[in-house]
Amino acid sequence: MVLPRSEILSRLREFPVDSPQSLVITPLIYDKRSDIFDADSVDLRLGNYFLLPKTLDQPYFSPDRSSATALHDRVHVPLGEFLVIPAHQTVLGATLEFIKLPSDVSGQVLTKSSVARTFIVVETAPWIHPQYRGCLTLEIANVSNTPVLLYPGRPICQLILMSLNPVRKLAHQDTKQGKEDDVETDANYFGPVYPEAPKFRDPEDDLLRIGITRVASLKRVDLIRSRKGWNRKLAGNV
Amino acid sequence: MPTDLTDILHDVTVLHRFVEFMDDYCRGQERSQTYADSSGAFFSYVRSLSAGIREELPRQIELATRFPSRLPILRSRMLTLKRYLRLLHALVKPAADAHVLTIPAPLINLASDQLMTVEAMRGSKIVVLLASELMYFQWPHTEIKIQARFVQDFIPSAVFPPKLGFIELPYSQGPSFFTNLAIYHEIGHFVYEELSTSVPANPGFSRLRSRIYKSLKRALPARTKDPQALTVALRIIENWTQEIFCDLFAIRLVGPAFSLSFIEMLGMLGFLSRSSSIRFNPTHPAPAFRLAEHVRMLRDDSWWDAIVDINPNQKKILEQLAKLPSSSYRFYIDEGRQGLQSLVTIFLDVVTPAIRSLVREVTKNAACSAKQFTRDREIIERCLLAGVVPHKPNSVPLNPVSIINASFFFYLTSISQLIANFEKDGEHTKVDVHSKWTKRVEMWTMKAIDERFRKVKVATHGPPTK
Repeated sequence: MVLPRSEILSRLREFPVDSPQSLVITPLIYDKRSDIFDADSVDLRLGNYFLLPKTLDQPYFSPDRSSATALHDRVHVPLGEFLVIPAHQTVLGATLEFIKLPSDVSGQVLTKSSVARTFIVVETAPWIHPQYRGCLTLEIANVSNTPVLLYPGRPICQLILMSLNPVRKLAHQDTKQGKEDDVETDANYFGPVYPEAPKFRDPEDDLLRIGITRVASLKRVDLIRSRKGWNRKLAGNV
Repeated sequence: MPTDLTDILHDVTVLHRFVEFMDDYCRGQERSQTYADSSGAFFSYVRSLSAGIREELPRQIELATRFPSRLPILRSRMLTLKRYLRLLHALVKPAADAHVLTIPAPLINLASDQLMTVEAMRGSKIVVLLASELMYFQWPHTEIKIQARFVQDFIPSAVFPPKLGFIELPYSQGPSFFTNLAIYHEIGHFVYEELSTSVPANPGFSRLRSRIYKSLKRALPARTKDPQALTVALRIIENWTQEIFCDLFAIRLVGPAFSLSFIEMLGMLGFLSRSSSIRFNPTHPAPAFRLAEHVRMLRDDSWWDAIVDINPNQKKILEQLAKLPSSSYRFYIDEGRQGLQSLVTIFLDVVTPAIRSLVREVTKNAACSAKQFTRDREIIERCLLAGVVPHKPNSVPLNPVSIINASFFFYLTSISQLIANFEKDGEHTKVDVHSKWTKRVEMWTMKAIDERFRKVKVATHGPPTK
């Protein structure tokens, strides 16, 4: 069931922060309630930090351990300034709001319809698990043919909350956070306040878990000229 | 030294290129990074100086070509410029390194705002520099201001921003939060320098200076008649005075969190042993005495009662060192040579009480509140323990000084509990896990302080009623 506004407000107001039932969205910035609260959703604003894709020094991207640091440049755009997303380009941003979902509620992030009509697409992995904490990393893509300006602080997406069905037994307040029977938080992506780069293991580590012991790998090879002709020498992983 | 016009033309060209490089560098940095307003003001000054120099020097060369008698004037101006540019050159790169992504920007913004509440410091700005040394430092800016005035005489478009201070952080501590609370002490140096050199003289500082001088004159003649010795003694006491002023200033602005960060820093530098903690040296009073003054100020401002039930090891160290009797303090000129012990006595008995009053006078509108901390502490700790940015959903924004102090104590006492709440059993003993969660607590603390600013700037409310 999608949580209606009354339930969202009740979760925000009526439970202490450490209650499994509490919902946190901070800061809540609005003049009129209707600025951000819809009948079944809350608008979230764009934060100040972005990860811009780097131009790679190799012809493709391999999702492995190095991707958390090798892929992006971090930038800060102050409130009042803007970031230009060139046509057909992508960027990782984050919501200005830090959220905490209750342990019996999942969330989904959707592009605000007005933003979507400029052909900015926010989120291709929009699902948020119960008990998630942090600013939401937004995968922002400009799929239009023109550059688009993004202003931090403006509403960019909406959060829709859904209660788990059947409603699971709520943990008591003295239960450890995130350690209730069937819900565990992912400590890797816990509590970020900036956009987060993807965190992968190396493919061989992932595949070994299902018994694969031989994994193809693309290695860059340098060609070195000798008297006998060209020799191939391994230059390292790509 | 150039002797004729050709030589001086060469010299001017070299200088022209030099300022062009500096200008390009500032522009390039500002295009690619976000800076605090104060750094922006500094870069803007460097650019206007650069433009002024590039405009003025060719004009001066032209004049000197027509009137060779002007060559000595040009030469003297070149010397002034070179000396000044050497000073600025040392500041530009560390200032450019200190952009929003490499410094604890919310803390710097907060400290700058608090500085505005010090009545005599309204309109002042702090430029942060990232330094290679593992220490915090305030660049004495009086010399820069004096030289800037000389330069302004012939480059009138370059007006050095008034009340601009420079504070260095070690680059390794860049975006971390807790150790960087040491900047409050450095801001104290900025305030001290600004007010002690102000024209007309600040009455509080004049009183303090005359008290130091009189007490030294009274104490020293019996031992020495040498005026040079009196000058050296005066310098030493002024150094100590400034350090204690800055410590107490920091405590008035940010409470016990400053003392805790001071202990963290001393620990990192290896100055917490009993033998090093009782040593005064010509530039610094003994750490034990400094901590005794911290405790005294914290007690007087009701902070000690507010933190009576929080007992991290750092607080125990603070208490232990503060309790060392003043008779154990020793003054060493250098490693093996003892200094005049009576200087310590004069400093403790006569000068320090005057410093306490002066700090109170200077910070009368800027002091933070222990009562507010007591009100806010529980919700901040609950938020952090729940893995959430500290906030109050239903009422006014949390006080940033409360956030800093509650978070600091949380970091010292409750990180293991936080880890136990969210990680697998046994993880709380791992260093990398501690480091990861410490970083998170720092990020949440900074986010909370940042939010407070946004809430002040944008009309906001708690969640509405249904």
